[in-house]
Amino acid sequence: MSSKEAHVENSLWMRAVLMGGTFLVIGVLAFASMGVGMANMKHHEYEEAIHHYDDAKHDYEQAKANNASADEISQLKAVKEEAHHHEVDAHLSYLTWRTAGITILLICVTYASFIGLGGFLNSIQPDEDDSHGSSSYGGDDHEHHGSGSPIIFALGIMLFLMGFPAFQETLSDMLSGDEAALGGLGLSMFGLFVIVAGVANWWREDLPFIGNSEQIATSAPFEGQHIRKAGLWVFIMSEIMVFATFFSSYLRMRTEWCTGWQVEAGGCEEVNMLTASDFLRPDGAELGGLGGQGDFMTLLPGAINTFALIISSYTIVLALKTAKAKDWKAPTGFMGKLMPTKKAAVRNYLIATLLLGSMFIVLKLIEWSHLVAEGFTIGTQAGSIFYISTGAHGLHVFIGLLVMLYLVFKADTVEFNEDNAQGIEYFGLYWHFVDLAWVVIFPAFYLY
Amino acid sequence: MGEHETHGIFENIFDGLLGKDIYFWNFIILMIFTLFEVAAVFFTGIPLKVVWAILIGVGIVKGYGISAYFMHLKGDPRIYTRTALFPVVFVLLMLWGIGLSNPEGVTGLPSWCTPLSADYATNR
Repeated sequence: MSSKEAHVENSLWMRAVLMGGTFLVIGVLAFASMGVGMANMKHHEYEEAIHHYDDAKHDYEQAKANNASADEISQLKAVKEEAHHHEVDAHLSYLTWRTAGITILLICVTYASFIGLGGFLNSIQPDEDDSHGSSSYGGDDHEHHGSGSPIIFALGIMLFLMGFPAFQETLSDMLSGDEAALGGLGLSMFGLFVIVAGVANWWREDLPFIGNSEQIATSAPFEGQHIRKAGLWVFIMSEIMVFATFFSSYLRMRTEWCTGWQVEAGGCEEVNMLTASDFLRPDGAELGGLGGQGDFMTLLPGAINTFALIISSYTIVLALKTAKAKDWKAPTGFMGKLMPTKKAAVRNYLIATLLLGSMFIVLKLIEWSHLVAEGFTIGTQAGSIFYISTGAHGLHVFIGLLVMLYLVFKADTVEFNEDNAQGIEYFGLYWHFVDLAWVVIFPAFYLY
Repeated sequence: MGEHETHGIFENIFDGLLGKDIYFWNFIILMIFTLFEVAAVFFTGIPLKVVWAILIGVGIVKGYGISAYFMHLKGDPRIYTRTALFPVVFVLLMLWGIGLSNPEGVTGLPSWCTPLSADYATNR
């Protein structure tokens, strides 16, 4: 097989800079409208609800102190409880808007940093002379030169983690309003820059690839298979192990707890631990005034996320199917306007996947903010394993979204077709694995 | 995932049904089973064991649908399935050896979970 390579002017990367700028604008607008405008309005309602609750509580206690009639006391008690529910609802509503605004802003800033900064770094590179013809990408008819990008990327991660304790401490001081030593951010920020530079270089090497050349494994057990695909499956294998450690920890802890489920099953008598499901399910257990108030609305973000991941798995299958179709025909009607060409169809399916994945992150953080507000914090055993496991999964989704940004860019510029669709196929395997992990996490951590 | 052809009962029934391919029907089935999953927990009054069975059953169906069809293990060479299943041995060991070995936990577990006797976990 011979590889084919498009001549890509480095100036093309300026479109990535524009994409980054668009994300920044979207992030700022979303933050201004949701995180500031709507959130401030909701905060005002929340403050009013607090006043109403304080008044209702005062009236109730006053009535009790004045030995009012039983009817009047019970009526005031009902008013007080209603005011309390209203206060909780107003608080959660405020948190929803504030968290959504801040999360969208942070997501967009990260997208802009990767695609915008990465694009800028690539656009200022001198154009390579492509007179030698076919690719050095790794075709069988050429010597494979390999790539230094993963090493640069790994170095960036090492620097980021080395500086992380000071980074976290400085951020914590900044958020709490204390005096912060900004120098503490330095090493981690430099690490982040190296990560972006490594990723940008990786993208730069891949973008011109439009051929069907794939390195083939020549020895067992993957003999005859594409090396990149085999490598991805080995990577997924290691990921299964990572998630298995979370599950075994969870199982170990869970067998020690007396949860609402255990009590109902006759395994123990008194609840000594609340799990996330006690805060989410309508009939969740209560302990120390916490939990037991879940309803469909509190379970909704997790449920929507489950559907969002499955839909996003399907949209990436559609992107691959479209890219590989030799006789693709534009659909009719509304879908035809969305997808007039094969190139636009692949790109738009990838954008749909990106949007669904981004929605997953936003809803997850909204849900976390609600759980923390209701008393399910990382300080408890159940909270620690819940936030670490679901957080690790969320991180996998987010990393997938950063890769998806590049796929969208490539689909919009060089384009994917039947010869180079492997990029979507291999990324799709990772994305489906993330969906698969959620299939286990959702019932185990949210419903059980 | 993608373009390979697979043959089986599920494919014979669904592939091409109403002009839609196997991936579409797999997607629809995954959505329906997710609905069952959420409904089982939301509707109070369903016996605990039934909810348990639904959650596990739905998880198996969804896991199979995603790995067999979306990840295309069903049409790809067997080596990929073996690669995917390889860590399962370690996962089971980890779940059994670590997950089910806590001192308080084992006393309430059926004996088949602790074949190495209580000494294994409780007298460490």
